[in-house]
Amino acid sequence: MGGSLVRPVVLILSMYVFLKFVVPNIPGSAPLPSSLIFLYLMLTTTGIVIFATLSRESKDAFFAPILNFLTGENIGAMQAARYGFLILFPLLVGWQTYGSTATSDAPPAENRTIHPAPPGEYTGLSNPVSKTPENIMQGKGFYAAFCSPCHGGKFDGKGPAARGFNPPPANFSDPTTIAMLQESYLFWRIKKGGVGLPIEGMPWKSAMPRWEVELPDEWIWKIIMGEYDGAHQSPRTWE
Amino acid sequence: MKPANQIRQWVSGVGAVTVAALMLSGAAPGLAQESESVSVSAPMVKGALPVDDPNAAIWSTAKQAKFPMSPQVHWPNRILETTVKDVSVRALHDGTQVAVLLEYADPTEDPDDAAAIEFMVGDKKAHFAHGQPMAQVEGGPVNIWYWKNKDKKGVDMNAQGFGTLKIQTHQDVKATGAFSNGTWKVVFTRPLATEHTAEDTQLALGGFINIAFAVWDGRKDGSGDLVEKGSQKAVSSWWYFRAEAPPDYSGYYYAAFAAALALGFQFVLIRKLKKGQAA
Repeated sequence: MGGSLVRPVVLILSMYVFLKFVVPNIPGSAPLPSSLIFLYLMLTTTGIVIFATLSRESKDAFFAPILNFLTGENIGAMQAARYGFLILFPLLVGWQTYGSTATSDAPPAENRTIHPAPPGEYTGLSNPVSKTPENIMQGKGFYAAFCSPCHGGKFDGKGPAARGFNPPPANFSDPTTIAMLQESYLFWRIKKGGVGLPIEGMPWKSAMPRWEVELPDEWIWKIIMGEYDGAHQSPRTWE
Repeated sequence: MKPANQIRQWVSGVGAVTVAALMLSGAAPGLAQESESVSVSAPMVKGALPVDDPNAAIWSTAKQAKFPMSPQVHWPNRILETTVKDVSVRALHDGTQVAVLLEYADPTEDPDDAAAIEFMVGDKKAHFAHGQPMAQVEGGPVNIWYWKNKDKKGVDMNAQGFGTLKIQTHQDVKATGAFSNGTWKVVFTRPLATEHTAEDTQLALGGFINIAFAVWDGRKDGSGDLVEKGSQKAVSSWWYFRAEAPPDYSGYYYAAFAAALALGFQFVLIRKLKKGQAA
């Protein structure tokens, strides 16, 4: 009797598990917003109901267990589940309504782009300073003097001046920072600083200095070399 | 009824309830997560605000937020180490005035000890370092409320870029500090709204605005010069501030109404189904 409902229930549950837990783990994917999951589950349910009501037999087979669950007599232990459902359903509707109408205590969500696109004139610039051990050493010296207070002596973003800053200073030893960027990108970020970011990078929050007013370009290129070497990373290339 | 049938019914019954719960909770808000402070919330109080009293008992009714501080390294003249590492903040309002209490550890009381609160003004975003110009975004000014121990008063200021700090002609900010056992408590007070909307931040009830903090330890070095002065200070990033709106219970009314509707729907449906079966 109840067998005809098992398949739809399993189908909807699997759909939920797939959307909630499988989709976010597909490479290049991201967690789905709950409103989208809700929409997909509604579509799945609608599909199931349409399929189940195509013929009179399938319709009866589909609704009989629901009807029995809601109105049947002598259903034994199911009685408790019925009352549970009848109490739970209005409560869930109330909770859902509260959630969507109550005023939120959370501050506005911030979606800051960590590595926004650089201005055109900075793409594809190559480091004009030759990569000699002396230049790398000099770059590391400049790094220690100008960058390490925030980005850290260990290139991990944990310098003594870092604690109050939000967003936090970049951790160069993390493979998702400078290892994913070209030297020209770093040149732009160091030269123009936080205030040089486009709007999606939220320039008003960044404490990164605009080093172009204090350091010559050659020093900046040397700092970039010292930074990659010290953090044991390599710049991204076009190849 | 056969046991196998009963089990199947159980599975589908429990499954149906689970599915309904999943679908309904799909769009429900997630549970609140405990995290570091990101905002200061000022509850509304009845009666007088503790404008002159950093030690008033009523301050404990406001939730304390704590923000980390950094030495100001963003622009010259920089400083690489500052005394104050964190600032704790509480705030209250009475519907017309707001009072903000800053609390921080400082081993000694000095005449030049000072603290400031910074806000954005209007709709334009302003850089946290005195609203300095941004290359790709048109920024706005910042409103700075400043207090210095030896001056014994609050100062209302504006800036939009380095070297543009200006004391306003109309002073709306009051401030008073109390030092005890290595802790400064400084209260800033101002009307929630002012007439000078281009210079003063406006605190609309319920709305989030940006806030930042700065602190100067007024100690002197061996040669008698101030260690922390001007741009050499401890600073915070932008965080949020909100003067809470009076409590709003409409969410509960809507929820109760919706639950009653759902209950009524169930009642009608089951009656209808039973009638159908009887026929």
